[in-house]
Amino acid sequence: MSHGEMTRLTGSLEDYLETIYLLIRDRKVARVKDIAEARDVRMASVTPAMRRLAELGYIHYQQREFIELTPAGEEVARRTMARHDLLRRFFHEILQVPADTAEQDACAVEHHLSDESMERLVRFFEFQRLCPRWSGQFLKTFHGCSAIHPDLQECPSECEFKRRSQGPAPADRIGRLSDVPPGDECHVVQVTAKGAVRQRLIDMGMLPGTRVTVERKGPGGNPIWIRMKGFQLSLRKGEAAGIDVTA
Amino acid sequence: MVWLKTAAGDGERRIVLAGNPNSGKTSIFNALTGANQKVGNYPGVTVEMKRGSFALGDESYTVLDLPGTYSLTCFSPEERIARREILNPPPDVTVVVVDSTNLERNLYLLVQVMEMNANPILCLNMVDEAGKAGQQLDIELTEQLLGFPVVETVGHRGIGTEKLKEAIRNATRTPSKPQRLVLGERLDRAISVVEPVVAGAKWRTVFKPPARWLAIRLLEGDLEAIAWVRDNCIDPDEITKTYQAEADSLALDTGQHPGLHVADARYGFAAGLLREVRISGMRADARKISDFLDEILCHRIVGVPFFLLAMYAIFWLTFSLGQYPMTWLELGFGCLGGWIDALWAQNPDSMIRSLLVDGIIGGVGGVVVFLPNILLLFLGLAFLEDTGYMARAAFLMDNILHRFGLHGKSFIPLITGFGCSIPGIMATRTLENERDRLTTMMVLPLMSCGARLPIYLLLIPAFFSEAWHAPILMFVYLLGIVLAAGLARLLRSTLLAGEDAPFVMELPPYRMPTLKAILMKMWSRGWLYVKKAGTVILGISLLLWALSSYPEKSEYDVDAAIAAGAGISAEEAESRRTAEDLEHSMAGRIGGALEPIIEPLGFDWRIGTALIGTFAAKEVFVAQMGIIMGLGEEEGEDSPTLRGALQELYSPLVAFCLVIFLLIAAPCMATVAVTRREAGGWRWASLQFFGLTALAYVLTMVVYQGGRLLGL
Repeated sequence: MSHGEMTRLTGSLEDYLETIYLLIRDRKVARVKDIAEARDVRMASVTPAMRRLAELGYIHYQQREFIELTPAGEEVARRTMARHDLLRRFFHEILQVPADTAEQDACAVEHHLSDESMERLVRFFEFQRLCPRWSGQFLKTFHGCSAIHPDLQECPSECEFKRRSQGPAPADRIGRLSDVPPGDECHVVQVTAKGAVRQRLIDMGMLPGTRVTVERKGPGGNPIWIRMKGFQLSLRKGEAAGIDVTA
Repeated sequence: MVWLKTAAGDGERRIVLAGNPNSGKTSIFNALTGANQKVGNYPGVTVEMKRGSFALGDESYTVLDLPGTYSLTCFSPEERIARREILNPPPDVTVVVVDSTNLERNLYLLVQVMEMNANPILCLNMVDEAGKAGQQLDIELTEQLLGFPVVETVGHRGIGTEKLKEAIRNATRTPSKPQRLVLGERLDRAISVVEPVVAGAKWRTVFKPPARWLAIRLLEGDLEAIAWVRDNCIDPDEITKTYQAEADSLALDTGQHPGLHVADARYGFAAGLLREVRISGMRADARKISDFLDEILCHRIVGVPFFLLAMYAIFWLTFSLGQYPMTWLELGFGCLGGWIDALWAQNPDSMIRSLLVDGIIGGVGGVVVFLPNILLLFLGLAFLEDTGYMARAAFLMDNILHRFGLHGKSFIPLITGFGCSIPGIMATRTLENERDRLTTMMVLPLMSCGARLPIYLLLIPAFFSEAWHAPILMFVYLLGIVLAAGLARLLRSTLLAGEDAPFVMELPPYRMPTLKAILMKMWSRGWLYVKKAGTVILGISLLLWALSSYPEKSEYDVDAAIAAGAGISAEEAESRRTAEDLEHSMAGRIGGALEPIIEPLGFDWRIGTALIGTFAAKEVFVAQMGIIMGLGEEEGEDSPTLRGALQELYSPLVAFCLVIFLLIAAPCMATVAVTRREAGGWRWASLQFFGLTALAYVLTMVVYQGGRLLGL
């Protein structure tokens, strides 16, 4: 039997191989009864599938005996599992679908995806885990987006989704620290600045809810001088623009 | 990741001091170690490393003063260094110095140290100031809640130093058992998932980071920690999988980035602790006087003029007070030279005499006579720094300087450069960010220093009519400033490209520094200057002396001319012999060899020879030209004879080119040596030297050739 024919199995046969593999791994033995239990089907429907798999050379199967995977069968089982696992993680970790839905959807999709699309999905998944140039920011931004988590504080106030879901009122009251006139007081909503500036501001205690007073501005309106948490700080206008505040 | 080793010697206890900038950490360091200090740089970076030691009973303790930081992330070299020093190898004791008048933010750093198994001691500094403002803390309760010793100090007055020493000794003997940090239920749960995985991992390195610390850093998304796990864990996948899953679910549950959530939790811990232990808080008007001063000193309109006035006062004091000891030093070196001369009265041509008098005393003396000026300038700058005014000056000047890629704090080093580049470059230490510091250092020699003034004063009046003197002199200084600004921008968009470092800068309340503190600061920086004069500058002086003395000429053309019956006075003959000596020497020959190269600039071998001398010190140019013209070395910049001789040889265009070239080219050896030291390597020093010389060459050539085309 050539390899070419072996690769095309129906979804349910692939699932059976996977189940057998798991049973052998976890319980050391796989019997028709166990398989039926694990897949929640009648034993009567397992038997023909076993015969078919044995015919195709994926398992060693004789009535009333333990079922064993051939090397070819084990390979298919593992590949199926890997695909399943990857799809589940993709739905759950990347798209943020709840774990149980992700599991079901992975089952549904895994047998119907073309090898090429599957391969690309694997590449993408590996890429976002391993590529040194991938900052994860894109994904973080997506995960922090109010489109999928409507009540996230982190989502930028100018976000179109947020405005649509919350109405215009709060976004209107949010401004930038750089625009607050000297003498006025405000509260930090969030720090939108990036990189070292963001880290420094956060380390200094520029956290959501912190009260900030603008004391004065330098010659030419830059830098600005603020008071917070009992100390005083100067920062450039550009940096202050990375802090969203509200009265 | 390189983990620096600055471990103490055998039997010595290693103590590190951590703390925020302006927490008075240095005053604690001084109080602990007294004069037993060594200042240097961490290898490869421009971050200052200060070490010292003290003894208590039979035991000795080395103390490392970490750079002042607000946090221990991986975003700045200072923070990376500080955290490596605390992690590997773990110190015997970590003293966290906090400003008692600003506890909440200062305790944020303490929380990070508590994550690190570093056997902490909390040093509440400036308790006098906090006490005056009405703050009272329950120290015993604080110790109980934290689980390690808490000591109250006033660093600059030495109050509490003995208690701190004892606490350090006790802590080295019996390390404390800090209470477990509680960072909130949700975060603690995430940590408790990641921590065991980290603790159970196998590493390729001997060094094992504290599991809890690494777990928190991974959850935060600390890039250095993540990279470290990837590179050094034998099986990083499990850790990676675990922390990523936990960080993601933490983000989902809290609605915050994990990094932000962790910072929030640390601040929460600090605030919670303070709620428990604070008997009474600071009065709201504690900074009243300081705020009042700022109303005036940092006023939008009055602020800048006042700052310039303050700078002027410091320079004026530097030069007017410095002039007396400078004269004494000059006299001293003169006497010393005369005394040595006298030893060789029979044999004035002795090589040893020449080496001692012209080489060593001339070279090193020329640098050391500036010591009083430099010390006074450093004293003034230390005063500005320690009062807190320096931060205000940066606030006032940043708007202009930032346009050129510089920092507000670059202003003082740059303006100091008009006096002398060396203290200017040393003053760049007040800049916290490495890129800002390097940019400032690189362009600093373009601030026309005092030593270049004699050259201008010789050349400009010799070639230009009086109405043009001031405008040309002004033009030269402005050219330097414009070039510095342009070059700074260029550097910041090429070699030193990158995001601006955060300007976010604390403005501590004004404080009156103690005389001792600013004297110590002045001396530790002044000493570096003296050491430089004693080593590199001495070496280069000797080299230049040798270049301009050897090989010696035995038969002079002048003598031949006299023998042939020319009427030459004995005095003139002596001058012409000196000139011939110089021409014959290596320096003269190099000058000659340089001629084809500098010809496109309009310069001849005479100028070439004198230019070699300018590497020792710029003002040497005047004396060298005097010698080479056969006028003797006594001719000053206002000598009509020297000017006359120059006018015969060169056109005004050449003189103008010479001025431009000397403004830009080749900073003197002392500048190069100091740059090497401060920038942490020859790379930047040689870039400065060759880069500026190349710039000078190209610019001068353009001016000269352009001028010629215009028929000047």
